Amino acid sequence: MQQAAKTDYLTFFIAGEEYGVPILRVREILGLDVEALTRVPAAPACVRGVINLRGSVVPVADLAIQFGQRGCTITKLTCVVVVEVAFEGELTVMGLLVDSVNQTMELSGDEVEATPAFGTVARADYLLGMGKATGKKFVLLLDIDRVLSADELRVVPALTSPIAEQAHG
Amino acid sequence: MELDHALLMQTFFAEAEEQLTAMEEGMVGIEHRPDEPELLDRVFRAAHTLKGNAAVVGLNAIAERANHVEDVLDALRNGTKTVNAELVSSVLSSLDAMRSTLTAAMATETSAAQAELTQDRTTTLRIDSGKLDRMLSLSGEISISRGRLRTQLLAAGAAGEQALESHLEAERLYRELQDEIMRARLVPLGPIFRQYQRVVRDLAIEHGKRAELVIEGEDVEIDTALGEQIRGPIMHMLRNAIDHGIEAPDQRVAQGKTVIGRITLTAKREASHIVISVSDDGAGFSRARIAERASLLSDGGHNLSDDDLFEHVFEPGFSTTDEVTSLSGRGVGMDVVKRNIEALRGTVSIASVDGDGSTITLRLPLTLAIIEGFFVEVGRETFVIPLESVTECQTLAFEDMPHSDGRGVLNFRGKPLPFIRLRDLFELEAVHTGEHEHVAIVRCGERHAGIAVDALLGQDQAVIKPLGRVFRDVPGVAGSTIGGDGRVALILDVPALVALAQDRPHAPKELV
Repeated sequence: MQQAAKTDYLTFFIAGEEYGVPILRVREILGLDVEALTRVPAAPACVRGVINLRGSVVPVADLAIQFGQRGCTITKLTCVVVVEVAFEGELTVMGLLVDSVNQTMELSGDEVEATPAFGTVARADYLLGMGKATGKKFVLLLDIDRVLSADELRVVPALTSPIAEQAHG
Repeated sequence: MELDHALLMQTFFAEAEEQLTAMEEGMVGIEHRPDEPELLDRVFRAAHTLKGNAAVVGLNAIAERANHVEDVLDALRNGTKTVNAELVSSVLSSLDAMRSTLTAAMATETSAAQAELTQDRTTTLRIDSGKLDRMLSLSGEISISRGRLRTQLLAAGAAGEQALESHLEAERLYRELQDEIMRARLVPLGPIFRQYQRVVRDLAIEHGKRAELVIEGEDVEIDTALGEQIRGPIMHMLRNAIDHGIEAPDQRVAQGKTVIGRITLTAKREASHIVISVSDDGAGFSRARIAERASLLSDGGHNLSDDDLFEHVFEPGFSTTDEVTSLSGRGVGMDVVKRNIEALRGTVSIASVDGDGSTITLRLPLTLAIIEGFFVEVGRETFVIPLESVTECQTLAFEDMPHSDGRGVLNFRGKPLPFIRLRDLFELEAVHTGEHEHVAIVRCGERHAGIAVDALLGQDQAVIKPLGRVFRDVPGVAGSTIGGDGRVALILDVPALVALAQDRPHAPKELV
């Protein structure tokens, strides 16, 4: 990482913690109408469903579930941050369900600390580092390619249907 | 000047390709029917024209080889040589050599004359299939947004009445445009089919057998993308026919069959489907062996219906051949064909008579992108069943429906009909409130099953959207579409649901 180069991050809250992703990976931010979410059976646990994004079908992930927390409660502030993820080597558009969007911030390399091995809600290997924000708290910089990788999505037992299990078993 | 040269070359290449194909077809034909002088004449004519043309454009390598072929044909004509497999093979390899010279020359020529060639003087245009794909996907987008507009206008009631009328008029035009775009994507199956003639001959010889491929329905047209996707499955079926179907020549003679095995590749158009079948006059699928391999041993499988028995052929790892040949016998086979065809929303079926041959039939939808869908509702979710698989709908009092584990058997006109309840299968939370439950009766091949839902919404076009890589192997779901309300609706995978309802193992399909 270049020391002098600065990166812009978009930050948002998930289960009370502030997270950031590089703004270049963010396509857009949408308000979420719960009615617009279509559930997909047997999907990975954190995938709450799919939405229609101008004709494309986009999966929406609830990272709170991936971090082992209770799923996001959808309110007026709830947003979907649409990001580009390298999924199995292919650029894929996915939505992140967030409690609210906070700000954009610029961080240079030396403003990002290494992630401690423990102590964060999200597993340390889900994070690229911790950004020093103005206040006392750190912004947790997400490695979205890793959090949303096929392997990680499959780690959490998917909601398999009892009928499907019988038929395959 | 330059332009004239480019056009001359272009014409030569197009014709040379046709002549080579004609010679190839002719030679394969001569091998099986050496007594037909017309075949020989046809090959001779093609070789002669090719020789002349090649000399004009200065491709002497081709001219010389064509000349050599002419010599061989001459010898056949005046009887100094006779037709045999070796001779045919040597002519065919000459043709291969000519074709590769031609391809090389074509590559040089195209790069040199790219600019000039853009001026096509005929009314037929070559269009990059990517552009056609784009047109089709745009027409899909239009279809979605017009559905949405219609829903909104209908909801507006009296106020929207006039606008609705104009919209419906526009919809008719959109549909026509969509049909035209689909039609522009159609290519005849002939060229795809013809390339197998040579393959069948060569493969059979390689295995000490003799087989000829008869093609029917060359004019039947198919969506270009679909045409590409069926090449693999057809190849596989032909390999199977040669390896398992056609018997060795002496065995055939002993059974009173012709020495040369006959494999027929047929295409037919049936309503909204293309039916492609591969039949052979070989040994047929051995019912006993299938039953044996499928460990249904005890009664030799005699009590099973053909459909049930042949279903085992589609199981992963199934093979009745003890030895592994370069053709087949590795147990990687019909299950892959079936999965590929089902991924295209098609079906595969087998008919076979012991000792008399077998027919494998593929039924494919006309297009990959847009289907007529039957929309149903469970809770607040909408699902789409491909209309072609819905045979009828029934409304039943809720109490009359068995409520065990989401699966059960209905009494349908005195016959048992297995059914599956989507609410339970997909674990949809909402509780059923109505007094009635609706059952859409679907068909997959010869099997029927019911799909129980809360409400039937009616039919509409559905543009198929891939669900994406995140959702692999969702049982019972084939894809998605976007409904008139702008929400994503899941498209049901009928073959998988029928299998689930009947409690059969079903090979998981690959989602697009």
